[in-house]
Amino acid sequence: MLDIAKLERRWLKYKIKSMIPYSLMVTAVIILGFTLPLVLSHNASTTPLASLKESTLKSKTPLPAHAKNDEKSIILEPSMQFLQSMNVPSPSVDSVNAVPMSTTPSKPLTPQPQIETTSLPPIAKPLQAPVQKGKLTSIKRDDAAFDIHELEERFKNNSNPNLGLYIARYHYDHGNYTESYNYALKTNAINSTMDESWLIFAKSLVKLGKEDQAKKTLQLYISNSNSQSAKNYLDTLSKESSK
Amino acid sequence: MEPSLFSKPRDLFIDVVNPRDYVQIDSVSHIYQSLKTSVQKPLKMILLYGRPGTGKSMLLHKLHHDLSKHQKVCMIDIPIIDEDDFLRVLAQKIYSYASREALTLTRFLELSSAVNFPVIPIVLLDEAQLYSAALMEKIRLISDARALKFVITLHKTDNEDIIAKEHFQTRIWESIELHNASYEELKIYIQKKLLKANCFDVANMINDKNIKLISKLTRGNYRDSNKLMFALFSLYTWYEEHNPSKIKYNALSRKWIEMAAIHTGLIHA
Repeated sequence: MLDIAKLERRWLKYKIKSMIPYSLMVTAVIILGFTLPLVLSHNASTTPLASLKESTLKSKTPLPAHAKNDEKSIILEPSMQFLQSMNVPSPSVDSVNAVPMSTTPSKPLTPQPQIETTSLPPIAKPLQAPVQKGKLTSIKRDDAAFDIHELEERFKNNSNPNLGLYIARYHYDHGNYTESYNYALKTNAINSTMDESWLIFAKSLVKLGKEDQAKKTLQLYISNSNSQSAKNYLDTLSKESSK
Repeated sequence: MEPSLFSKPRDLFIDVVNPRDYVQIDSVSHIYQSLKTSVQKPLKMILLYGRPGTGKSMLLHKLHHDLSKHQKVCMIDIPIIDEDDFLRVLAQKIYSYASREALTLTRFLELSSAVNFPVIPIVLLDEAQLYSAALMEKIRLISDARALKFVITLHKTDNEDIIAKEHFQTRIWESIELHNASYEELKIYIQKKLLKANCFDVANMINDKNIKLISKLTRGNYRDSNKLMFALFSLYTWYEEHNPSKIKYNALSRKWIEMAAIHTGLIHA
């Protein structure tokens, strides 16, 4: 038995979870959008070349004692401690095989590692050939065609408007506008209250170059049904034709 | 009380193997025809393999359903692990030989040579990966003696290439691999299932986006797709009864597809 309330909660949790990466990206973009112009405008006010020259000049010209003290807190000096640490052999290196490092670059720093090869038994033939005597049937996967003719036959027999709509939609989706027009027409004749069937009918007419007839049909249908989707489509058609 | 619009589609997707529910899809139909042709040839073993949920059992049941009208076919869909039981069940089903005692392979072969069939009987073994190597060896000997033909199905896993197993390397004349459904095939599978049962209104609700989502969630696995659709239409049935205003009849709700996927474990939430 389905626990709908629990499922709804789990779905909400899942949605929030799946939205987190997107929301983080959006936040990052917004932050960048705000900060980038500020940074750029700040950089533009102090041109990098000028500031560089200024700083080099400052370092060369002698400064008063109190000023020097101030500068010390600002100027960063590279630490050379890493050179000392380089002299200390790393604990991870095998001390037995280690070769003293030479400062001359021409010589290789470490001897070429000798790969110890042990004679392995010959690798067994890979278990790949499943069929030695027989043959492997390779089936090509092609897009299976829907048997629409069978459905059309069924529609002939049962005149089910839902099936008619299905066939009309199928033909419209496949670009067979004459067929979609025909089936939508038949469907409308059986059941004149199906919004989608009327829309497919009108859309097929438009595709067949009979826009005026489509508009008239829609107007007629709207006057009978007050269908919102038909109104929307009629508006779209009117806007497109006015352009 | 009015019948529910969604209860019928829901029941269509109950995950049971019934040859009457077989949906013809081009690629599967091609495979099935090839299987039927192979069965008519003087072969010893035919292997049908693929990942779980690719429709192996359905094809085997369909084959059983169709062939049993014309010849002796024995279907063993639940593996009989015990070797003695296996031979006893085969002897009983094929040669109508009932015995409480253990049946040796020699005795079984004697029985088979004593009974004459116009066409060699076929044994269909589902889930053959569960059989022991010793039992597979017996099956091989029976097929080598041309006493019976075997059509076996196996799961293909990532860890091992089952068809490369010793028993199958030299004995199988033909092997057929089944794949998961592509997006197009899944669309046809779902639509055909609904249309076959005259659920036109529900078939009209399913659009390409819905199928894309279902295909993405189930990766074209027929079993998972059945489970998902069953859960989805169960949801629709519930809403139809308790909160019908929430149902939109122009398309399946993405939210409810995801909820069904959470319920079936396809989405971990």
